Amino acid sequence: MTQTLPETIGELLGWGTELSFGQDVVASLIGAALVGTLMLTMTAIAGPWAKRKITAAFTDRIAVNRVGPFGLLIIVADAVRLLSKELIVPEGVDRPAWDLAPIVLAGSALLGFAVIPMGSGIHLADPEVGLVYVFAIASVASVGLVMAGYASNNKYSMLGGLRAVAQNLAYEIPLVLIAASVVLFAGSLQMSEIVAAQQGTLLAVGGLSIPAWYAFVNPFAFVLFLVANLMEVGRNPFDIPEAPTEIVAGYQTEYSSVYFVLIYLGEFLHIFLGAAIITTVFLGGPAGPVLPGILWFLIKIWAIFLFTQWARSALPRLRIDQLIEVGWKGMLVLAFANLILTAVIVGVIA
Amino acid sequence: MSLERPRERQLDIGETVDGDVDYDALAELLGDRVVDREEHVNAPAFVVRPDEIQDALFALRDEAGFDYLSCVTAQEYDDRYESIYHLKKYDDPTQELGVVVPTAKDAPISQTAEPVYRTADWHEREAYDLVGINYEGHPDLRRILLPETWQGHPLGQDYNAEKPQVVPFRKHANPLQPDQRGEGDNSDTMFLNIGPHHPATHGVLHVKAVLDGEQIADVEPDIGYLHRCEEQMCQQGTYRHQIMPYPDRWDYVSAGILNEWAYARAAEDLANIEVPEYAQVIRTMSAELCRICSHMLALGTFALDVFGDFTAVFQYAFRDREVVQDILEDLTGQRLMFNYLRLGGVAWDLPEPREEFFEKSRDFLDGLPKKLKEYHNLITSNEIFQARCVNTGILPPEVAKQYGATGPVARGSGVDIDLRRDDPYGYYDELDWDVVTEDGCDNYGRVLVRMQEVEESAKIIEQCLDLLEEWPEDDRTIQSNVPRTLKPEPDTEIYRGVEAAKGELGIYIRADGTDKPARFKIRSPCFCNLHTLREMTQGEYIPDLIASLGSLDIVLGEVDR
Repeated sequence: MTQTLPETIGELLGWGTELSFGQDVVASLIGAALVGTLMLTMTAIAGPWAKRKITAAFTDRIAVNRVGPFGLLIIVADAVRLLSKELIVPEGVDRPAWDLAPIVLAGSALLGFAVIPMGSGIHLADPEVGLVYVFAIASVASVGLVMAGYASNNKYSMLGGLRAVAQNLAYEIPLVLIAASVVLFAGSLQMSEIVAAQQGTLLAVGGLSIPAWYAFVNPFAFVLFLVANLMEVGRNPFDIPEAPTEIVAGYQTEYSSVYFVLIYLGEFLHIFLGAAIITTVFLGGPAGPVLPGILWFLIKIWAIFLFTQWARSALPRLRIDQLIEVGWKGMLVLAFANLILTAVIVGVIA
Repeated sequence: MSLERPRERQLDIGETVDGDVDYDALAELLGDRVVDREEHVNAPAFVVRPDEIQDALFALRDEAGFDYLSCVTAQEYDDRYESIYHLKKYDDPTQELGVVVPTAKDAPISQTAEPVYRTADWHEREAYDLVGINYEGHPDLRRILLPETWQGHPLGQDYNAEKPQVVPFRKHANPLQPDQRGEGDNSDTMFLNIGPHHPATHGVLHVKAVLDGEQIADVEPDIGYLHRCEEQMCQQGTYRHQIMPYPDRWDYVSAGILNEWAYARAAEDLANIEVPEYAQVIRTMSAELCRICSHMLALGTFALDVFGDFTAVFQYAFRDREVVQDILEDLTGQRLMFNYLRLGGVAWDLPEPREEFFEKSRDFLDGLPKKLKEYHNLITSNEIFQARCVNTGILPPEVAKQYGATGPVARGSGVDIDLRRDDPYGYYDELDWDVVTEDGCDNYGRVLVRMQEVEESAKIIEQCLDLLEEWPEDDRTIQSNVPRTLKPEPDTEIYRGVEAAKGELGIYIRADGTDKPARFKIRSPCFCNLHTLREMTQGEYIPDLIASLGSLDIVLGEVDR
């Protein structure tokens, strides 16, 4: 088993490999701060800028190019602009819930990164139920959506919140079932084990060897998971809880200023968390030739981010009832089929 | 030629074999309900007593086949009020008839026509709102364009425009009213204001929606936010020059020349002005360029409504529309408010060097098929798009006719009407093109119609370019001789429509011997098409409501005028 980040930090601090409880807490906090900073930098700073540039490329535009090189300093301008805006609290909002919702949204996504192995020794914690933990934590965001929708005292927000619940029920079960098929292959829920199980070579064609990533082992599950993940992060064609042209902005209609930033941040974090889960479970985690693991990890999650933006630019949005249908009648059935098929294959081979 | 329409149906009462109207037979049908007969420039009109109008209209609709109430014009004379019902047939819009209903000055009460033609609902509300005629038996006679607290009727004779409208704010209905829960079975519904400011209303439209969960229990479009007194302004301008700039501002998204043509056609027929053939070709070409612009915009914004974001399709549509805008800018000097047509012709000839203009236009036309293929790949063949649009926003042909729907909305419901072919003007009847209809009756059908009409428009433009290129240099008259001051004969009346981007854009003008119209009435296609929204969305979901609204392709500037 590989070393986790707190253990490495403990060693660097000269505490040895066996950490006492207090030392463990301190080392973990330092590690969490490092990982959190990395993720926030990526999502809050690079994310929105990249999203603008990517969308512009898809839609025949140029996007930001005036402030700083390649428009990069627009991030600073945006941050100042958004943070200096007035925080408008509408009349009749349900106060504790309304204030908590943005924090829950951003926080839940950030917590998920704790168990993701990012390569180069950056792996905060490696519990034996890592996969279950990451799904559980990612789903907490739905609670935030409902809180935001309900507490805003706005009909559009309410509709958005209710849609979020309906959507959550429709995708969450297939999502977990598809992940379970991977667990059958790997024989473990531990993230490091799942990554380790993908290290081998599946086939070697000529000089080119295809690694045993589960995306290649079971492409069917991979595609299903990509779609379910799009639903999870709520991007087109599944951005139904927000649905800008229909219900204004859904659950986030009434949020402004810092709360808006938090919700926005939460959404970006969720896209990247979704990408990180896919990378870990299907794309061999940080594995890759030449470059260090962390770089491979980042390349993979950016590739999936690119995919979500592509879908956003090119695909129409489904209607809520159609989404429920896709979830319950399509995805669920396929996910079960995939699970049983995998179980049979694993059972026969092993 | 493609412009001939197959004629299989039985002849209606009062219809002759060669497609004319025998007005004597119609008078006989109506019997002594007809009090008098008037001659309008477009068609004769029967004067009917205000308490017999429903009977007369029922007879005309059911027995004489006048199934299309194109417009209702209301006006006030010195001695009476008058409502004019302009009737046509969907099968042959050249068969026209006016029904004039005079009402007393002191008690302007007239029977409503709403039970005969659903479209009369909104038209009569407008007449009540602006002129002040009361329609007896109307289901919902409220103001439509002006706020409900408005005092007086602005197009009436005794209206004092100087008098300020002092209305305390609290007199207005509160748009933020609490949930309007229904009674009994409807107690689960939720009232939702969609608009006046909402990402999907394409302007300032307020849709009062009653929701049952996510489903629409009832919708009512609330219009008038963009009312700019266009009719009044036209009544204050002189025929020759001062009215022409206004039509650009009705349907203000790039359909300018189509609108200008509506006024030009009505005024030219009213004052008997000839238009040189060369100018007609230029008009036809520029109008079709505008139509492409307008349909591209409709396509882009519809995609925006269904896709849900400013996605690739929206930007692609705007990219291609931009090329047409450049061509129109070269031609007219303007990008939005063209003001290019003149009574008796156009403002100026094609830009020099002509070869450059032809080359630019042809380049656009050559590239168009590839672009349309791209749209079909991106939009119409996308399965999610089809899932969203097929069988949503259903408008059966019979309902479309009842509501006086025209343009792509009617043609998407399989109603085969296009004034360019049915009531030819300009150079259309000399060219080879087809009228596009789709039988889907749904959002998808309407999108397909618009996309195919772009192709047809391209065909027309190409033929016009050929004609213009070979036109002998000494015969390029762009305007006929029109007197500096136009004063049509007093008491001549005309109602004329053209096929604008959204449907039949009709103008009614009554001359009183001065150089300004005594009554100028605009029949806006968007106004009538928007009226169908309620029929289309009953029982559907909110996203379908948004999609249907997008597929109607309304421009609020034209709805509210």
